[in-house]
Amino acid sequence: MTWFRRKRTRELALVVCFLLPSLAIFFLYRLLPLGWNAWLSVHAWSPLKAAQFIGVEHYEEMLLDDDMFWQALVNTLVFIACSPLAIAAALGIALLVNSDLRGAAVYRTIVFLSYPLMTVAVGIIWRWLYDERGGFFNYVLRSSGIVDQPVKFLQSFDWALPCVILADFWQVLGFYMIILLTGLQSIPQHLYEAARVDGVPASARFFRITLPLLRPSIFLCIVVGILNSFTSFDLVYVMTNGGPGHATELLITYIYKAGFGQTRFDYAAALTVVQFLLLVVLTVIANKLSGGNAGSLERQ
Amino acid sequence: MRRSPGSPAHWPRHVIMIVVCFLMLVPFYWVIKTSLTGENIYAWPPRIIPVDPHLFNYVDVWYMIPFARYLLNSVIVTAMAIAGSLLFNVAAGYALTRHFPGRRWIVVLLLSCMLIPFQATIIPAYLVTSWLGVLDTWLGVALPLLSTIICIFIFKASFEAVPPSLIDAARVDGLGEWRIVTRILLPLSKSAIATNVILTFIWSWNSFLWPLIAIRSPDMQTLPLGLARFLSVMEDTTGALFAFVVLVLIPGLAIFLMAQKEFIRGLTSGATKG
Repeated sequence: MTWFRRKRTRELALVVCFLLPSLAIFFLYRLLPLGWNAWLSVHAWSPLKAAQFIGVEHYEEMLLDDDMFWQALVNTLVFIACSPLAIAAALGIALLVNSDLRGAAVYRTIVFLSYPLMTVAVGIIWRWLYDERGGFFNYVLRSSGIVDQPVKFLQSFDWALPCVILADFWQVLGFYMIILLTGLQSIPQHLYEAARVDGVPASARFFRITLPLLRPSIFLCIVVGILNSFTSFDLVYVMTNGGPGHATELLITYIYKAGFGQTRFDYAAALTVVQFLLLVVLTVIANKLSGGNAGSLERQ
Repeated sequence: MRRSPGSPAHWPRHVIMIVVCFLMLVPFYWVIKTSLTGENIYAWPPRIIPVDPHLFNYVDVWYMIPFARYLLNSVIVTAMAIAGSLLFNVAAGYALTRHFPGRRWIVVLLLSCMLIPFQATIIPAYLVTSWLGVLDTWLGVALPLLSTIICIFIFKASFEAVPPSLIDAARVDGLGEWRIVTRILLPLSKSAIATNVILTFIWSWNSFLWPLIAIRSPDMQTLPLGLARFLSVMEDTTGALFAFVVLVLIPGLAIFLMAQKEFIRGLTSGATKG
């Protein structure tokens, strides 16, 4: 009996030793920050000052007096709202390369090629494509006679945000495609064969079989699109740094500026809390819309 | 009804895909062209084929900025992240295959941690790192990547696929737990190892926001920071910037092209970057 108990204790000690380093890292860099952000957001604190509880003052300031916050919020929402365009394009490409097309693997590789790249470098590449003198877009527009004067894309209040979003599309398109391809390949082929035998037209096959069964993959793409508004910090930082004015300011770049530019850690924490809640709410909504009745083919 | 590959009815799809691929490749071409050109990069109209192509810009990169230093920092940080994450993820993945009280809770905890994007933790992460006293060090930059939840689950799944009789036999032969992991389980989990190495490499090599926060001294800057710094000093006035971009992109592209399958498998199971 003691042998058994000793074995149990040893087993437990082993598990603890093996898990501890990972759990310590997740505690320090995921869980603790979540709570710390919430705590900071209701305190007045700076590295040289003792913390003082101030309730929702930061949130009041943010919602009532901070135009930059609203601008960043709107831009972030626009950024997210545009991602369905890229997802639709990716779906089209996925349908094309999923078929028995010769060379489909080569097409897939090329479309995916931009995803693993360093985003800072991608930002520099696109900055250059938009350049008014040496850039590709102005070259095409001017030499085809569509415009006379060079367009300063990234200095323009109207164009800067769409330009950054397009650069982001270019990088993430391949990833959406891969997610959707994985989804397409998990759809049982016999459904299509049965529909074909019944004489169901191709468009109906797409809307009644493909799209409903792809819902989980589309949901995953939407979540990636939402997260992209967080991870696009690198792109915005390099391409426009939030400018002109704050036309391309995202919540994440504003958090960085508030925290590390103005050393207002407490206010930046409050911004982060709002951004995190936004992420959770949007993800839940997306889940309701697309995952809620995913795989409901039998019911139709 | 199925058409055979390459039959005439396929050509509209080929046309669409060739156009798509062309558009996807334009940015690559434009930056490579600019990095090779011998004339003023602002010359109008820009040439499609670089005039007088040469590699001066690539040589310039080594003289204009401490490229070797950035490279060294990036390599060390990435090597630390890969070594650490392999060790800790394998250990945690193995622990989760064992039965112990509270295992379910730990799995739930890890799955919920996965939903917290790193970008939403930057302020406290900075304060934690500063409190640990590792700001502005290689370790400080690598630390948040030393264990990654998705890879823990990949290892767990891979270990669970190994027949238990094999592990029991090894135990009867008197192998210790760590020996069982390194001698029996790891040789059977090559694709999990590849996924872990590739994902950690990409995350660490491309990481920008975290080093931007955690690093102060110019000596410690990694390649993405060096790139951003070069841009802010020079604007895009020199072809050397684009040579720098090309040099920085090569390792990521090479790894992707060499191990496409593992790469895509890992990313689709990870689903988020960073």
